[in-house]
Amino acid sequence: MTPTTDAVLAVRSISKSFGGLKAVQDFNLTLPRGSLRGLIGPNGAGKTTVFNLLTGVYRPDAGSVTLAGRNITGLRPFRIADAGLSRTFQNIRLFGELSVLDNVRLGCHVRSQHGVFRSIFRTPYHRGEERAIEASARRLLDVVGLLSRAGEQARNLPYGDQRKLEIARALATEPRVLLLDEPAAGMNSQEKIALRALIQRLRKEFDATILLIEHDMGVVMDICERITVLDYGKTIAEGTPSELQSNPAVIAAYLGAESDCDIDANHAKGGR
Amino acid sequence: MEKFLQTLIDALAVGSLYALIALGYTMVYGILKFINFAHSDVFVLGAWISFLVAVAAGWGDHVSAGDPGRTWILWVLWAATAAAAVSAAAEFGAWKRRHPGDPFVLNRTRFAGVLVLVAVWGWAAFGLAKMAGLVKVWGDNGLFSGLLILLCAMTTCGLVGFVLERLAYKPLRKAPRLNVLITAIGVSLLLQNLGQLQEMFGTRPQRMPTLLPTDQPLATIANVKIMPVDVIGAATAIALMFLLDFLVHRTKFGRSMRAVSYNPTTASLMGIPVDRVISVTFVIGAALAAAAGFLYGQKYPGLNQAAAAVWVLLGLKAFVAAVVGGIGNIRGAMLGGILIGLLEFFGAAYVSAAMRDVYVFSLLILVLLVRPSGILGRPMLEKV
Amino acid sequence: MSTLRARAIELKPGLLPATVRSVWPLVAGIGIALTLQFFAKPVIGDFYAKVLLDIGTSIILAVSLTMVNGFTGQFSIGHAAFMMVGGYVSGGIVYYGSLLLFGDVDMAGGLVSSMIEGRDVPLVTRGDALFAVSLVAGGLAAALCGYVVGLPSLRLKGDYLAIVTLGFGEIVRVLIQSQTGDVLYTVEEMKERPFVGIAQMFTTPSDEWVTPIVLSLGGALGFSGLPFYSSLFWVFLGVGITLLVAYRLKESATGRAFLSIREDEIASEAMGVNTTQFKVRAFVIAAFFAGVAGGLFAHSIGVQLNPGELGFLKSFDIIIMVVLGGLGSISGAAIAAAIVTILPELLRNPAPLLKVWPVFAGLAALLLIATVFAAATGRRTRPLIAWLCIVLALLGLGFGARAAAAAGHNLGDYRMILFALALILMMILRPQGLFGVREIWDRSLWRGIAESLRAPAKKGGTSR
Repeated sequence: MTPTTDAVLAVRSISKSFGGLKAVQDFNLTLPRGSLRGLIGPNGAGKTTVFNLLTGVYRPDAGSVTLAGRNITGLRPFRIADAGLSRTFQNIRLFGELSVLDNVRLGCHVRSQHGVFRSIFRTPYHRGEERAIEASARRLLDVVGLLSRAGEQARNLPYGDQRKLEIARALATEPRVLLLDEPAAGMNSQEKIALRALIQRLRKEFDATILLIEHDMGVVMDICERITVLDYGKTIAEGTPSELQSNPAVIAAYLGAESDCDIDANHAKGGR
Repeated sequence: MEKFLQTLIDALAVGSLYALIALGYTMVYGILKFINFAHSDVFVLGAWISFLVAVAAGWGDHVSAGDPGRTWILWVLWAATAAAAVSAAAEFGAWKRRHPGDPFVLNRTRFAGVLVLVAVWGWAAFGLAKMAGLVKVWGDNGLFSGLLILLCAMTTCGLVGFVLERLAYKPLRKAPRLNVLITAIGVSLLLQNLGQLQEMFGTRPQRMPTLLPTDQPLATIANVKIMPVDVIGAATAIALMFLLDFLVHRTKFGRSMRAVSYNPTTASLMGIPVDRVISVTFVIGAALAAAAGFLYGQKYPGLNQAAAAVWVLLGLKAFVAAVVGGIGNIRGAMLGGILIGLLEFFGAAYVSAAMRDVYVFSLLILVLLVRPSGILGRPMLEKV
Repeated sequence: MSTLRARAIELKPGLLPATVRSVWPLVAGIGIALTLQFFAKPVIGDFYAKVLLDIGTSIILAVSLTMVNGFTGQFSIGHAAFMMVGGYVSGGIVYYGSLLLFGDVDMAGGLVSSMIEGRDVPLVTRGDALFAVSLVAGGLAAALCGYVVGLPSLRLKGDYLAIVTLGFGEIVRVLIQSQTGDVLYTVEEMKERPFVGIAQMFTTPSDEWVTPIVLSLGGALGFSGLPFYSSLFWVFLGVGITLLVAYRLKESATGRAFLSIREDEIASEAMGVNTTQFKVRAFVIAAFFAGVAGGLFAHSIGVQLNPGELGFLKSFDIIIMVVLGGLGSISGAAIAAAIVTILPELLRNPAPLLKVWPVFAGLAALLLIATVFAAATGRRTRPLIAWLCIVLALLGLGFGARAAAAAGHNLGDYRMILFALALILMMILRPQGLFGVREIWDRSLWRGIAESLRAPAKKGGTSR
């Protein structure tokens, strides 16, 4: 692996195929601590599959994933969450019947000492822990701006708020690396501005290392330091936003080998 | 050797009936992805209907033969069948008008039409014979009566299956599978307890009249008598299975059925009337279960609604057969049925008769743990 | 940011107040159980004391099943098997323990175990201790079975799990029916025969078994002759503990993990919940309480432990309670268990229900007025109409039962038909059950009614 000491997440040539379809091929990624990396690509390029491989939903066919020096390749998802990799979902997967607060509290699960007997007898430590969990859950809800809706059922939240709640829940696991899967999808432009501010704030306050899948080029180009571009499961480019905007391979992937248009403008037109 | 042969015959005879019931489970599971718990109760119902028809036709020496508390069921069912026939005929006529000169392909409408016509024929024959006092004329011929009784049981249970699906399952098409499962349990309890009512089948044990001679074996091999009931039962079951296999794999309706099982949403976008396909699937499944109920009753004539759980358990074993063969797979269900029959009867004969259910359910657990898709079940391949 | 552990220690309450807060509900539970045993029983009479006893057992069963089917969303339909295991283990211990300790199997309990008035015995005796030990042992045996079944089968989902649990239940039933001797030993025989261990079962051919004492539990004939230890005290102590444990699990990290599995297993696992482990935990805890309930059931008056009656139909009974009450609601399951248990009695003899019919009628009238008011002013009427229907249905059942009784029928005979219909209708009209995942004291449950009376309906407001 790369000898950079502060590479918190190192992915070495992972691949995954479903039947004959090579969903991800030879994907490499090195995330330094505190960085914010974008992962873009047209629909079906394999971005979410990469997330699923990293978080253990799928087992990679080949390659390795190292998180803070620990090999987490092929572990079960809860072990990977325990190791410090947390994610949000593209198609929102909240615990709909539970309250907003409980969703975030569940995120604290992985850091807590949840024994059955502690829960039944309510030992002093258990009580203290529950208080600590509630406090940190409320703090996170405050950060994403949902504190006032803590008691509502998660499924009753508007779409944009559900995405924010997913972020809060993922943060509650105290991750080393946070994977955000299209957090801006379905948000209006105001919400997107707020989301940008939120991500910046996460980096500042939580020292979060973030890997971001996003279709909204405005968001990606604006906040990511470096961007990886996937197409048909392969990495076709990597670089800073400005490098990519003039990269012919990227433009070809997005527009089909047409002229050198501005990705941003065109995507805004054709995008969601 | 004698014991072995006898066990083999019993196993194959009962196994083919398991297969017949398993088909209903597997078809419904293939399409709607839930265990139709009430299927076993339809199987029990089939046995009771055939009992009533057989008794009404003058078979058996029954105290309850003239019991007015029970024969009304027959008349109601007859009326319902007639009504269904009329409406189906009307629909068929309407279809004919809309598609003049269409070549005859066995599609959904025609299949339903044929089914209903067969039913009407059976019921009409029975009713006319009954009214004309001619029952004895054909009543003495066990095979002919058996065929009529089989048809009556199959069609009435088919109707019951149709009604159940429309009333209980259709409103839940979009609901989580768990809710449908609970509903199925509710329907199962409902059928069981309705059957126990004094006005229905009552709680008294009854004996199914045996239509085929029990003292003249067809053949004797190594001192083992091969009884007509075993041969005819198995033959009927196998014939029905071939019919179904043909229907599913060789007809247009079968294709739409497989399409629905593969993906209902896409199927409906392709213009397949999903609801009707599901209805017909239920009807076929229920009819097959009813046939199995009649045939099983011929082999083991004890009927006891109060102990319906015993018969329901038979149905559940058939479900195990469906799972073992690969749920959703029609040929798998047949294979699984025979397999379960063999396991149960050889286990009972050679290890311990009391533990026969244990073998079956242990096999289920084993299969689910080792190969949840069953023997023939291949995920993502042809499923019905 | 300090770690959660550090913050937890920082916020930890003192040992004494924490202990007091942990223990007082248990003390209250014991108090209620004692009150029922010594004060309520004489008031309500023997018959209703027995009904109350059955209600208590049902509540334990329903609430325990709620932990699996409600909390974790797994669907077990073999719950009666755990009850059976608990009942037989507990019964075996009490039966043979009594023979060894007291020389006969008569009831040797004190007043706490007595359902009969005026027995001249001390409050607590050795018999009570034996019974209590047997209950715990029965629960543990059932929990062990739950672990053995749960560990492999909880990898399966939905209806596959359902059918495996059902198969397991049938296996247990058949094993008890066919593999336990149906002749119960007397004390003389006990002394003659050496205690035969399980190990010898495997080394001796089955027809040469000297039926070991441990396996002589009545076989297909049922385990008869068990002393009636189950009293209101024991049953409601069990109810109290079950409710307390269920509530505390639900309102803790463990319960949140359970519920998250039910809501979305993939997300739950991604958030670090070891879903398999938690499913097994829920299964084991539920099996434990089902086992305890089995022990209480086995020693109830008027009950003969019979494997034939504890098949999947009994499991379905428990499922009816859980589903009607609301999958995931402890109070819902408890209330539904009470109603389902008492309804046959009320249908057989609707007099107690009809005695208070003006109350129901008044309630119906109030609801009707409220509905009309809500409809006239454009508020939501749906929750009001739902409650109106429930009250009217109860009232109708009462009068229907009386009419049936007058005509010489017993509506109680039709109870299973009613329950089956209720189950189907519930799935179609209100699939989450009466209370859903919420508890009766959750304010959000009642918000529907409050809203219909307070605020005019919002367009696109959430229904139900």
